Parts: sequence; C-alpha cells; structure tokens
Amino acid sequence: MVFNCLTFVVFFATVLGLHSLRLPWIAKKINLLIASYIFYAAWNPPFVILLWISTVVDWYAARQLVEAKGKARRHAWMLLSVVANLGMLGYFKYGQFLLDNFTVLMASLGVDYQPAHYDIVLPVGISFYTFATLSYTLDVYLGRAQTARNFLDYALFVTFFPHLVAGPIMRPTELVPQFAKPRQASGDQLRFGLALMTLGLFNKIVLADSFLSAAAEKVYDSDKLPGTLDAWIGTLAFSGQIFCDFAGYSTTAIGVALCLGFAMPDNFRFPYAAVGFSDFWRRWHITLSSWLRDYLYIPLGGNRHGAARTYAALMMTMLLGGLWHGANWTFVAWGGLHGLYLAVERFLRGRFSNYSPGPLMFVALGLLTYALINLTWVFFRAKTFGKAWDVLRGMLGFNVAAKPILTMYYLVTVGVIVGCIVLTHWIMRGRTLESVVTRAPPAAISIVWALMAFAIVIAQGSGNAFIYFQF
Amino acid sequence: MLDRAADDEHVHQRETASDRPGVAQPVPKRPVPVQPWSAIFIGMLLMLSVLLGAWEWYWRDFGVTPSIRNTDGLWAIQRRRIDNGEGNATVLLGASRVYFDMQLPVWEKLAGKRPIQLAYEGTTPLGYLEDLAADPKFTGRALVGVAPDVFFTGFAYRGGADKYTRRESPSQRIGQWLSMNFVEPYLAFYDPDFSLHTVLRRQPWPDRPGKHASLDVRKLSMTDAGRNTHMWSKVVTDPDYRALARSIWEQDFQLGPDDPTPEQLKKMASEQIERAAKAVKILRERGVPVLFVRMPSNGKYLEFENRILPRAETWDALLAATGAPGIHFQDYPELNQDWELPEWSHLSQADGERFTAALYGVIARDFWRDDAAHAAQVSSRE
Repeated sequence: MVFNCLTFVVFFATVLGLHSLRLPWIAKKINLLIASYIFYAAWNPPFVILLWISTVVDWYAARQLVEAKGKARRHAWMLLSVVANLGMLGYFKYGQFLLDNFTVLMASLGVDYQPAHYDIVLPVGISFYTFATLSYTLDVYLGRAQTARNFLDYALFVTFFPHLVAGPIMRPTELVPQFAKPRQASGDQLRFGLALMTLGLFNKIVLADSFLSAAAEKVYDSDKLPGTLDAWIGTLAFSGQIFCDFAGYSTTAIGVALCLGFAMPDNFRFPYAAVGFSDFWRRWHITLSSWLRDYLYIPLGGNRHGAARTYAALMMTMLLGGLWHGANWTFVAWGGLHGLYLAVERFLRGRFSNYSPGPLMFVALGLLTYALINLTWVFFRAKTFGKAWDVLRGMLGFNVAAKPILTMYYLVTVGVIVGCIVLTHWIMRGRTLESVVTRAPPAAISIVWALMAFAIVIAQGSGNAFIYFQF
Repeated sequence: MLDRAADDEHVHQRETASDRPGVAQPVPKRPVPVQPWSAIFIGMLLMLSVLLGAWEWYWRDFGVTPSIRNTDGLWAIQRRRIDNGEGNATVLLGASRVYFDMQLPVWEKLAGKRPIQLAYEGTTPLGYLEDLAADPKFTGRALVGVAPDVFFTGFAYRGGADKYTRRESPSQRIGQWLSMNFVEPYLAFYDPDFSLHTVLRRQPWPDRPGKHASLDVRKLSMTDAGRNTHMWSKVVTDPDYRALARSIWEQDFQLGPDDPTPEQLKKMASEQIERAAKAVKILRERGVPVLFVRMPSNGKYLEFENRILPRAETWDALLAATGAPGIHFQDYPELNQDWELPEWSHLSQADGERFTAALYGVIARDFWRDDAAHAAQVSSRE
C-alpha cells in the first residue's frame, strides 16, 4: 500500500496500537514483521514470495560465507547472493528490455526474430529490497557487519515496511542493531514523527501530485512541440515533482519509523542548492548514491588506480545507476550525463584546485548546477529519445514555430512553487530541519503543521503511487 | 533529544552515508527538537478542525451535500457483479447521459432487478463493450448509450476502468470501501470538483498570449454507492450555475483549428462503428442482445451534434453496420417529450425518472419482450 491512502491510515493506526501494547519485545517484532508482509502483500500478494526468496537466500548465503573455510568458498557464497538477487531483478525488471534490444540487434543483422510476449509485472520496490538484502551479504563478506543474531531480526531488517518499497535503502548495520533492544517511541518522538509524516505527505500530495505533475505531463506526454517557456516550465515542474515525490516519501518513511521508535537515515539534503555534481550526489538520494559508491564504484577501483581508471569507474557507476532507475536507454543516458558532469567536474577541480569562488560566483555555480541537472531530468522524464530531443530543442530555443501549451495558471504555479523549493534549499543548505524547528516559536510550528495537514486533506489526493515505486 | 545548547552541531550538517565511504554505516541519529510538542500538537489539531469546519461550511453553503465519488474503484464494484454470479444481468453502458439520466430504482421497480451501471462520463462505451464481449461470464443484455460527440469520436475521458478492475490491489479495494463508507457520505467538500488544485485552476487567471484557458466541466451530478446517479439540483435551481454549465458546453460548439476536420470526423466515426460491429458480433454470437439508445439532448447541444455528426452518417450507419436494434429518442413520442435538460445534455432528476420509465416501457414492448425466454435461453446454454 502507499502512504498516501486511507488503507494506510487504518493499517498504521493498528500497527501503532499493537506496538504500544505491553507485549514481549519478540512479540512486537513478530507483529512488525507480519505487518510488513501485509503492507507489501496489499499490492499483489504473490510477490511476497519473491521477498521471501530474497530474504532466505541472503540469510543463508551470509551464514555460509561466515562459516566457509577458504577465500574461494567465501567468494562463491557471496556470488550466489549477488547472482540470485540480480538475477531476480534482471528477470522481472530488465527481461523485456533485454528481449527488445536483442530483437533490434537481430533485426540489424538481418534476422527476423519474433520473441514471445513477455508479460511480466514488475514487483513493487524490488530494486530497493534487493539492494538492501545485497548490502547485508556484501557487508558480511567485506567484514563490515556481523550476521544478524537471529532470523527474525534479519527478516525484519529486509522487510521493515517504512523502508521496504522505496527506501531509504538501509544497511544492516543501521537497522539490525535497533532490533536488539525494545524500542518504543516517546510522546515527543511520536508527535515529531507525525509532523514529519505530514511534511512528507504535503510534499507528495499537495506539491508533487496536485500542482506540479500536470504541467510536466502536459509538456512531456503530449504530441505537441514545446517552445522555450513551455519546455523549461515543464522540466522545472518535473524537477520539483520528482523531488517532492521522492523526498516526500523518504520524509514520511522516516516519520513512520520514528513513530515506532526507530531511526532511519536522511535520504535528501536540500539537493537543489548543490554547487557542483559531486555535491549534488551527496544531497540527492543519499542512500542509493552511497550504496553505489560502496558496492560498485570502490570495488571497480574507485580513485585508487590512476585517472583513467577513476573516470571509467565513475562512468560505469553512473551508467548502471541510471539503468537501476528503469529499463530504458533514456535512463542510461540520464546516468551517462551525470557521469559526464562528474568527470568534467573532477577534471576542473584538479585543474583549478586553488580556486575558491566568491559569494556571487558560488550562487552562480549553484544555479548553473541546477540548470544542468534540469537538462538531465529531460532524459529521466521523457519516454523516448525523440521526445527528449523535442524538449531539449525547446529549452535551447530551437522550436520557434511551437504554439503555447501551458496556460497562465501552470506558468504561475510552477514558477512560484519551484522558485520557493530552490530558495528553501539555499536557505537550508547548511542546516538540518531539526535545527530550524528547534529555534522556531511553538505557535509557528502549530500553524505551519495545521496548514500543511489542511492542504493535504483539501487537495484530495487520489492515492497516486510514488514515482520511485516503479524503479 | 535535540536541545538548543547542543544545537550548534545540528545547525551544520549531520553526517550521512555520503560522508562515510567504504565503512559500516552506524545506526542513524534522529534527534527530536526540544519543543512543547504536546501543546504544539493540540494547537495543530484545533486549528485543523477550525479550518476543515470552515471549508465544509463554505461548500455546504454553496449547495453541496455529500455524495459518493465516481471512481474506478466504484466502477469496479459494479463490474465485479458480473464475475460474481450476475453474469446474466442487464448492463448499462454509455457516457454521462446514460449515467445521469437512467434511474436505477425506477428500472428495478419495473423490471424486478437492478441493472449494472457501467456508463462513465465523457467516455465512449466501446472499450467497456469490448471488455464485456471478451468476458464469457457475461450472458445478459447490454444497453449501450450513444452520445454522438463521445461515441463516434472514441473519446475516453475515463477509459481504463476495466484494466483498473483487473489490476486493483487489495489495498485499493479496502481504500475504496473505507472511503465510501466512512468519508464520502459525511463530507460535502470531498469531491474532485472542490479539490484545492481544481478550485485554484478555475479562478479567473489572465490568458497567456496564444493560449486561451478553457473552462473545465463543473460538478453536474450526485452519485450513490450503487452508482445510481442523478443531476445535481443546483444545475436545475441556480440560473447562474446553469448558465455556467451551458457556457462550458458552448466552448466546444465551434470547431477550432486544433479540432478534427469534417473528413477526419467521418473517418473517426467509421472506425468507431467498425469497433462496435466487431464487439456486437461477438456478443450476439454468445446470445447477448445489444440495444443502442440515443439519449435526449436539446437546444444548442442538439444543434451542434446534428451539425458535426449528422444522424444519417452516424446513428443510422451504426445500426446498419452492427445489425443491432436501436432506440433514438426522436423516433418515439413517449421519449421525445418536452424534457427538462437544464444544460441541454442531461435530464433533471425528476425527468430522469420519468424518462427511465418511458424508455423501459418501449424496451419491454418492442425489444426485450421475451424476458422469460431469455432467461431460459441463458440457463440452457450454461
């Protein structure tokens, strides 16, 4: 189920109620595990089996590699986990993509290959939980983590519903120790957790779904050629939408976990105030970018083997990171563009290592970063390269004959909302939400909280899925 | 807890995984800012209650009363009746005219059984007719409404409800049940027409040069949990609202440069007729009678329909191509009365009830006379 639906309200109230009962800790953990399976099964019950497979394979592989004698055996158990998880991911997520590309390749060689229809539904959140379970085996293999003390703690780490389907992608060392001792939210934790949930749902339901998604759809999902203003507003709307959608999910998830007494890590740190692309990736989807860094970029050599290998590792990491988001070459292009940005930035930083920008140049570089990130969003949002080129040409002013697409309402609302988002990120770029809330007058917190909750209710969201569920 | 003395450390970034490459990530810290959270929470609840109360009062003052939302989930409940033992039922398909004008209690009183209402506003019934044609469980009868500008263009504002029904998750089904039992019957403002985004969008924004903002269709109807729907009384009793509803239709009466040309319209109509013929053939082979019904319209709407989609090229061609019978309201004196259609396209609730009774009379007299024979035929096939 999604956080922004009535079913979740009832589900969460029930889970909170059960978690507050005077039960043994093990019973509470079993409750949380069952609740997490119900949370997942509420989409499509048979897919719980995949979750079990992923859970059991990694539990077994991690135990075996700890007990294995010899490097080769340890290596083999680690590989079993990687192959099982990536195999499952590949089958469900990339099967059609691979088949389509194989068909195109055959056609280019003059072979008329007609594959059977590949009618596979993508299990929600599979990219997230396979990465979480993989990190368990890999951390054990790399000696960064010990195996969980018992299967219940481990299964709950994989399945814990706040992070299960769209992250933050948890590492075993972040969550498993939290199951060791009884945890119950204090009154203040519960109320602050509810405030975080309100903030997250406000981002999702009000900003992303109600105000920003329609403008992006009108530009990206229409067959009309966008002019400069429409192309930019449509893309800016998407930049705001995807941030509010995904950061909204993460904030809600963090709030949900806090209400139950658990801590989850930050996944976003005001990314649209990033200055440079390495800074951006330290602020955007932090748990994924750090996962890719720790389990892909560093094993590929990282920056330890000279410049050429570093650039190659960087590009490979970003290309695969792009593919992780979706089985489409447009996502690979998005990742490739980010890889290119990071490589250029790395080169420039080496070349101008003594350069330190003044305040104005600092802001200018930040806005340049934001503008270039918007160019990458074009490939992320467009369903085809044809559409992406249409929008890019529009953004660069080449679609001179284009007729207006968006009405004044969309121009104004997107301009105001995205402007406020970027401004907020700049104000907050060196702070945390908690530090600002600490200094705010209590009445102001009440008012802002009530207004956000009011906007959520009157926006009447239709329970739209979060964008990242499809990844 | 995060207190002000320790705040300096938190004003600056707290570390995340991005600051700790290649190491085991520790248990995260999630400090709670020191604030009187109980008072803040109570203050928030009080303020929220006042705001929601004022919002509800505003819409009730506007004339709104609670109604069930016409969602894909509500449609799915009716569609599943066919799968759950009512495969031999009479199914109503069509766009908003069948949806608003056909009064299910009246039909039920006359026929002894309530039909399944699967019409969807602004949506060609052909997609759903094809869905029924592909479903061997459906052995009943289909009444298919024909609103020319929707049916013969294939326009589908709410298409995809059949796919939604097949893919509806347990969570969505529970959410639908919760909403229609515990929220929608009590809150007048909980209607898509009064959502924040919709209300803001229909404010008088200045036009962008080269882009005129057209008015969206406003709330016209009230629906119950069984999808019985009737015209909202405000359309009948409030002259300003009625004029607004008419002006919204009038926007479409003059075709613009972006609209299809007469040749394109002709091609679209023949494509839709071909679709209908295929679906009807499958259904008739299964013994399912299909009856097309042209529901009433009048005033400028009827003039528009006759002008761009003339009867001979559309309605008559449809009946000829499908071989199915049809009832055009203008062909029957009892259906071609001085009905009250406040915005030219839909009947008021009172006339909807009278029209339903009159239409059922015509159907029972001229088309579906053999109720008993039909039931026997179905049971012998099963």
